[in-house]
Amino acid sequence: MTMEFAGKTAISGIGATEFSKESGRSTLRLAVEACDAAIQDAGLQPADIDAIVTFTVDVNHEIDVARSLGIPELTHFSRIHHSGGAACGTIHQAAMAVHSGACKNVLVYRAFNERSEQRFGTGVQDRAANSDPMEVDFGWSSPFGLLTPASWVAMFAARYMHEYGATSEDFGRISVADRKHAANNPKAFFYEKPITLEEHQQSRWIVKPLHLLDCCQESDGGQALVVTSLDRARDGRHAPAVITSAAQGSGEDQQMMKSYYRSEITSIPEMGLCARQLWDDSGLCADDIDAAIFYDHFTPLVLPQLEEFGFCARGEAKDFVKDGNLELGGRLPINTNGGQLGEAYIHGMNGIAEGVRLIRGESTNQPEKSDRVLVTAGTAVPTSALLLSGDA
Amino acid sequence: MSDFLASLREFVGNRGAPEPARDPVNQPMIRHWCDAMEDGNPLYTDPEAASRSVHGGVVAPPTMLNAWTMLGLIPRPTLPGNDQDPQSGALARLDAAGFTSVVATNSDHEYARYLRPGDHIAGTLELLDVSEEKQTALGTGHFVTTQTTYHDQHGEMVGAMRFVILKFKPGTGRGSASAGEGPPPPRPLRPRPGISSDSRFFWDGVQADELRIQQCTSCGTLHHPPVVRCPRCGSYELGYQVASGRGTVYSSVEVHHPQVPGFDYPVVVGLVELEEGTRLLTELVDIDPERVEIGMPVEVAFEEVEPARDGNPGWKLPLFRAARPARATETLGFEDVEVGAQLAPCPIPITTTRIVACAIASRDYQDVHHDRALAIQRGSPDIFMNILTSSGLSSRYITDWAGPEATLRNLSIRLGAPNYPGDCMTMYGEVTSKELQGGVGVVGVAFRGTNRLGHHVTGTTELVLPVAGGAGA
Repeated sequence: MTMEFAGKTAISGIGATEFSKESGRSTLRLAVEACDAAIQDAGLQPADIDAIVTFTVDVNHEIDVARSLGIPELTHFSRIHHSGGAACGTIHQAAMAVHSGACKNVLVYRAFNERSEQRFGTGVQDRAANSDPMEVDFGWSSPFGLLTPASWVAMFAARYMHEYGATSEDFGRISVADRKHAANNPKAFFYEKPITLEEHQQSRWIVKPLHLLDCCQESDGGQALVVTSLDRARDGRHAPAVITSAAQGSGEDQQMMKSYYRSEITSIPEMGLCARQLWDDSGLCADDIDAAIFYDHFTPLVLPQLEEFGFCARGEAKDFVKDGNLELGGRLPINTNGGQLGEAYIHGMNGIAEGVRLIRGESTNQPEKSDRVLVTAGTAVPTSALLLSGDA
Repeated sequence: MSDFLASLREFVGNRGAPEPARDPVNQPMIRHWCDAMEDGNPLYTDPEAASRSVHGGVVAPPTMLNAWTMLGLIPRPTLPGNDQDPQSGALARLDAAGFTSVVATNSDHEYARYLRPGDHIAGTLELLDVSEEKQTALGTGHFVTTQTTYHDQHGEMVGAMRFVILKFKPGTGRGSASAGEGPPPPRPLRPRPGISSDSRFFWDGVQADELRIQQCTSCGTLHHPPVVRCPRCGSYELGYQVASGRGTVYSSVEVHHPQVPGFDYPVVVGLVELEEGTRLLTELVDIDPERVEIGMPVEVAFEEVEPARDGNPGWKLPLFRAARPARATETLGFEDVEVGAQLAPCPIPITTTRIVACAIASRDYQDVHHDRALAIQRGSPDIFMNILTSSGLSSRYITDWAGPEATLRNLSIRLGAPNYPGDCMTMYGEVTSKELQGGVGVVGVAFRGTNRLGHHVTGTTELVLPVAGGAGA
């Protein structure tokens, strides 16, 4: 083990609001409700929390969350950058902070009214054309009509299809697996609403080659988790989900959503960097993984994730995703909560919670064996990944 | 049938006197035509190359057929009382009744043989039909169909043309009423880029019609998007190289949703790999989305997306089009062509210069093809391309694909959306038939030229291609 926190820290509590299209309450309220539930789930009191980690893009201030929850003192607070790429990075950060002695119980949250207030899918056309680095960056794409996350990802997908012969149906199989699992998850927005591959194919174009059903939903909701030492987690209400490893990754010539200028654009080097760290650190490999939660804001980028983690060779994910391999009972059940396509889009954080449920044996789509679970964060951005295990 | 229509149809079947061309077929007019059409086929202008060809010498572009007998700048006076002549009969009556504007809609050429310098042809006009009065987008009018048969000085029939024109009353079109209510509202603007002192050179370059790629002045490495320090050699001395503007499509997408003002959907966005090696994100314009392919050659077009207005300078973006396909220097063999084969798309930028140069090269002095003020006065937003140019550019597209010795037997076109300056017409074609006719290989091609308003021209042609081991064309 090169990462000292690995195997010595754990997720001890999870909590979420309902997932909806219109929460009817403020994002701060969603954050606090989710955190309240996670603290209770961990068997702690608010006063036991002494650190908070969230996303840079989360609009809820740590101090406001702490105030409403009645957390008196914080000895560590930090934020992780790069939108959905931050998801597993928050756990990584929290584990490092705990292991370093900076704090004992870290509250991690992400909450937004992403559907009813701030829709990401509408794009970035209204941004100011000033000299801020982010606006300069958008300047290379927005004037040409590439304005939305779907469009940024579609550019990778088109090249991936060209190089490896993957088809829209191969992307569709991700969506079908997610929706099948969501159909059996009462918390999922698409509970009892599975789809067929034909329905995927017939759904309208958003950005060709992406159909509507290649794109995750937009959701209102909040998700929180509690990270602590493995020893303290053993005193909690649930069996600990051990942080076997966690890593962040940013690759060469990394750009936000548009790393189009690398020698090739069909792999995800930053995810490959996370994979390398997880496997090197844990001594495990793809064959050891029982289930996975892959970040699925858009289906096409699930395929190269399978390749980066070594579940199949480069360009062969289109074959791996066939024959129900990704569904319950298959070689690698993925996104057993329904993923962001089926359950909710909470920037990957609901996927980490599902990873914890799989370790606890509490998923509504519980595989026969789920001792080791892989969770990934946002693709096409600097990202992160997480390996969870049962407490041996 | 109205009395007026009956009076027009009295002339149907009438034939005028043979009208000799003012000049014999000659090299200067051919050269002028080829310059204006950008038709590089050497068989039209290069005696040495032409002498080795199936023609044995220089020939005129076939689509010049009716250019030779055009009236020229000073029109011939009509001959009163010559009821045999459709020109002075039915057309004069239409003029007298207020149907004074004219626009050509169809041209069907048949070529018995290619013309050579020295041929002196004459055209004989016959009235085939006058339609009922129709309300069209341009105005109220009658479609007049004529047939002109062309003979050389020896009486040999060399070709024929079926021609349809619309004679209409100016100011009666659908757009006419609103034309007086001021200019259309300005187009919503696209997002402007954020620009910093590190990226300004790129956008300044675009405004000067230069595609600039950042280049390290120490080690020469190119960077895009720009960096502030060369990561390769560590230098802060960064300049730029002006790119050729040529590249290939590395990836592309078709944006359908959501729709943002300022763009025409679907928007085709391409990631272009430039010849110099760096990539650039851009919009691929003037191309059917389904014809965009990874690997397709493209070239830059600096498009003014915000016109200069009220003293503010305009704003340009580096958009990309399909590259003009290279002109084939070898003629395709009949055996090499397959039915269903697609011709590479060919964009043709429409400029005022091209419209005027081609109109004059085809001896068409209708004011709507060269005089903007008069064109606007007649209810058109600008000057527009004449039908002989549409024929000439169509034949150029076909022979640039099939090769210099591909010989056209006929060319039929129908016009739709006008070609106005500032637009771009992209030609598309597909092989529709292939047949050996008495040992001669005849290939049918359907083609169209599409601009931003719709299909400008749709047409068909039959061409003769050499047959392996046979007599060829």
